[in-house]
Amino acid sequence: MAVRTGGGNVRRVWLRGPGWSRGERRRLLTGLLFISLWIIGFFAFTLYPMVASLYYSFTEYHIKRASEWIGLGNYVALFRDPLFWKSLSNTAYMVAIGVPLSLFVSFVCALLLNIKVRGQSIYRVVYFLPSIVPTVASTLLWLWILNPNSGLLNTLLGEIGIRGPNWTRDPAWSKPALILLGLWGVGNTIIIYLSGLQDVPVSLIEAAELDGANRWQRLWAITIPLVSPITLFNLIIGVIATFQYFAQAYVLSAGVSPVGSGLGAPLNSTLFYSVYLYQQGFVYLKMGYASAQAWILFIVIMICTVLLLRSSERWTYYEGG
Amino acid sequence: MSRQGRWVYALLAAALALALLAACAPPAAPAPAAGEAPAEQAAPPPSLEQQVLGVWITWGDNPAQLQSLFDRYGAANNVKVEVNSPVDDDKVIAGLSGSEPPDILVTGGPDSVGTWAREGLIIPLDDFLAGGEVDINDIFEAPLGQCKYQGKYYCLPWGTDTYALFWNKDLFEEAGLDPEQPPQTMEELAEYAKKLTKIDDNGNITQVGFIPDFSWSHLGLYTAMMGGYWYSEDGTRITFTSDPVVNALKWEQQFYCDYNTEDVLRFTSAFGGYMSPDNGFYAGKVAMMVEGEWQPGVNFIQKYKPELYYGVAPFPPPQANPERKNTNLVSGTVAMIPSGVKDKAAAWKLMAWMMSPEIVAEEMVANFNLPSSKKAAEDPRFHENDKFEVFLKLMSDPNAKAPILTPINAEVDTELGQIEEQVLHTCADPLPLLEAAQAKLQPMLEKALAE
Repeated sequence: MAVRTGGGNVRRVWLRGPGWSRGERRRLLTGLLFISLWIIGFFAFTLYPMVASLYYSFTEYHIKRASEWIGLGNYVALFRDPLFWKSLSNTAYMVAIGVPLSLFVSFVCALLLNIKVRGQSIYRVVYFLPSIVPTVASTLLWLWILNPNSGLLNTLLGEIGIRGPNWTRDPAWSKPALILLGLWGVGNTIIIYLSGLQDVPVSLIEAAELDGANRWQRLWAITIPLVSPITLFNLIIGVIATFQYFAQAYVLSAGVSPVGSGLGAPLNSTLFYSVYLYQQGFVYLKMGYASAQAWILFIVIMICTVLLLRSSERWTYYEGG
Repeated sequence: MSRQGRWVYALLAAALALALLAACAPPAAPAPAAGEAPAEQAAPPPSLEQQVLGVWITWGDNPAQLQSLFDRYGAANNVKVEVNSPVDDDKVIAGLSGSEPPDILVTGGPDSVGTWAREGLIIPLDDFLAGGEVDINDIFEAPLGQCKYQGKYYCLPWGTDTYALFWNKDLFEEAGLDPEQPPQTMEELAEYAKKLTKIDDNGNITQVGFIPDFSWSHLGLYTAMMGGYWYSEDGTRITFTSDPVVNALKWEQQFYCDYNTEDVLRFTSAFGGYMSPDNGFYAGKVAMMVEGEWQPGVNFIQKYKPELYYGVAPFPPPQANPERKNTNLVSGTVAMIPSGVKDKAAAWKLMAWMMSPEIVAEEMVANFNLPSSKKAAEDPRFHENDKFEVFLKLMSDPNAKAPILTPINAEVDTELGQIEEQVLHTCADPLPLLEAAQAKLQPMLEKALAE
């Protein structure tokens, strides 16, 4: 079925029906030809691996020999695996605490960067820069900043009389350390919020000012509701990305302590869902198990996104609607 | 679209098409200049039938040296040997399972050999060994032992490593200990470590006597010294709860738990990089360490801290077991042939060359590793450095042991590492942790062996 517009009317017609002229059909085929490369790539590199991993999740995968079908065996084993639940809870921690925190920080920064001061564009660049530092480089950099003895963070804390915690070796502080690393790189989100703030009509703000609303009331009653679609967008993107959190944890645990545990160091506190998946699939070569993990993650993210979208009807306001 | 616009569009499309085609085209041969006779070309082009052998080495800070070494085989046998070094673990898995595996794979340790053998990714070499190109009696028992899996040899050692005790003689003198006398028993080591640990008035540690997991875990060595290992001899049972493992962990624990573990961890995290002058031992922050035979070589202490005044001796046995003197865990580089290799005979020929005493001697001198071949070990170059001799003697000692291979090494190592971390960093009691891990891993091992 195809939708065809003509003179402002939208009519649904069949492709080969009497409504389609030869020219329109040719244009459609030309368009398909142009995106054929993408379609081929999508089928080969996205759809096929997805379907294959779904198949393998029901098997005990062997590299050279045939994989044996074990039905729901991997899924049952996963639900019985304490590390599966640990990795899920670690990831949920990052999502529940890291995402709202990063939204809050980036919103505050966007508000500040919206104020017309001298050097506003320079400030904007400075706050955006951390987000373009490559992930591995920034994690290695932060490994040094977070060094409990000589790192920048604990030195600064020491100046104000606080004995900074053992960020990278204490299981209680490793996730907060990663959240800090994430907060440093919220430049992208700031920019998106900034653009949303530009759309807040100045007339509304001025009207409120005339009515005697103070800055806080203007923020709470006007600005925040009007950027709520942006908040929804950032929230969903943040949740989806944080559920797949991998690179920073992988680099951090490799750099933390060479003693045995490696991935997830210290003491499985940084064993996030994707990290555990990687360990199962690429270190232990249990690809079937890892495929099952991947599909469970897919379902979890799907459910979270749907819930967020459903709930958003209550707290997002679209201008003019 | 305007006439002009159409031309620009066409030009851009043509440029894009050209760029795409250029990426796909094979590299063009340089055309001879007009008048130049083709016979003036410097080297004859390689014949089309020349075989190409691939060698992947997972380690390698000097790929050029490795390539030039293998080029000698290539020149002598009219093949081309391409050396890839270093190679990521991910690429290794992909290579082994793909259709174009390397003809020879060289890894830094035997850890994955059991898993890969179980999955059929590498071939047993026993049939080839029967042919006699490699004299199996020329290889030291300990490094050879690390390649045995279910009664067959799945790899051969190419040089090997072992560990001994290093001590800082200056710090010994400062603490009132005889700098020429290293500790003779494990209990004495603990005593010396206490004397060598300094805590300042604010309670901060400024020097540590001994860190049992400095650089990385040496639980294997400590367990062997306590008289056992975490597998049974035949590799069919997990023996986590055996005395040697428990005692090794308890012995390690004191170096953290006699002090505030938090302080110790903070102190050790201030150490600089492994290969830098700020290495904890080089910088005099740790008085004793367990480390490998490459340390006294040109790429490590001689390079980063040549003025360091230190000694090397075998790691001491427990007081009650002097018969375990010179026990050490030998483990190191191994070479194997992937099962997907088409011309296995050619790969074996290359491996036999690699294992020949002259080549082993040459490569191990370059790398400052232990020669796994007995004949190679007679080379005078290995006897110039008296600290290196300590390691050489350890490797050939009857008490030298090899790690036992099983198909679940990776899982076991991770589990042990986590237990060690908990025991050392949180002062947990090792036995319950070991029991829980054993209960989880034993069925896994049985299942993997049954396949």
